[in-house]
Amino acid sequence: MEIRINLDVMMAKRKISGGELAERVGITPANLSILKTGKAKAIRFSTLMALCHELQCQPGDLLEFQE
Amino acid sequence: MNWTKDRSVALSRVCVVLFALCLAALDGGAYRLSQWFVRYRFGNRQLGVLLMVSIYAGSVFAWVCLYQLWRLLGRVRGGAVFDAENVYRMRVVSWCCLSAAAVCLLSTAYYLPFVFVAVAAGFMGLVVRIVKNAFQQAIAMKDELELTV
Repeated sequence: MEIRINLDVMMAKRKISGGELAERVGITPANLSILKTGKAKAIRFSTLMALCHELQCQPGDLLEFQE
Repeated sequence: MNWTKDRSVALSRVCVVLFALCLAALDGGAYRLSQWFVRYRFGNRQLGVLLMVSIYAGSVFAWVCLYQLWRLLGRVRGGAVFDAENVYRMRVVSWCCLSAAAVCLLSTAYYLPFVFVAVAAGFMGLVVRIVKNAFQQAIAMKDELELTV
């Protein structure tokens, strides 16, 4: 049971690199990597909002619950 | 680290050194102390030997304790506060205090006032143990905070 982050899928759809997204969202590439690899233990609403804004998607597009 | 924190850690290290000197003096003078104990308190030579055994048994734990505190302060000075090694060192300190309390408790068999030292050492062990538990929780919270994006 886990929450999976489909950030890489959405990034591929929007054709945006990790470095560029990190810069636009205002987080470090290292933190973006933590998110992408699923190592993150929590995500701030402000980060999620910025990601959704830059990727033009809904939170549900980025987060997925898996049994 | 600012001036006050640096000074505070330095003061703690000085205190550890002072305690180490006192402990060394106690170890060195244990024989004389036991002689005095026998001469002025009981007059039984066997009790003097028992007192020396208590002193040296307690001294081992005290030395381990002081070493661990010295290393702990070194790590705190270096900025490594909430990490697993510090928790391990505090666990050792706690067990040393509890072990010294056990030695003192056994020593009450021949000299009852040792019970006060036993209670003090046991209480100190308990305090350090609770601080260690708080550190463990703080490390878990720090890890979570570091992985919050």
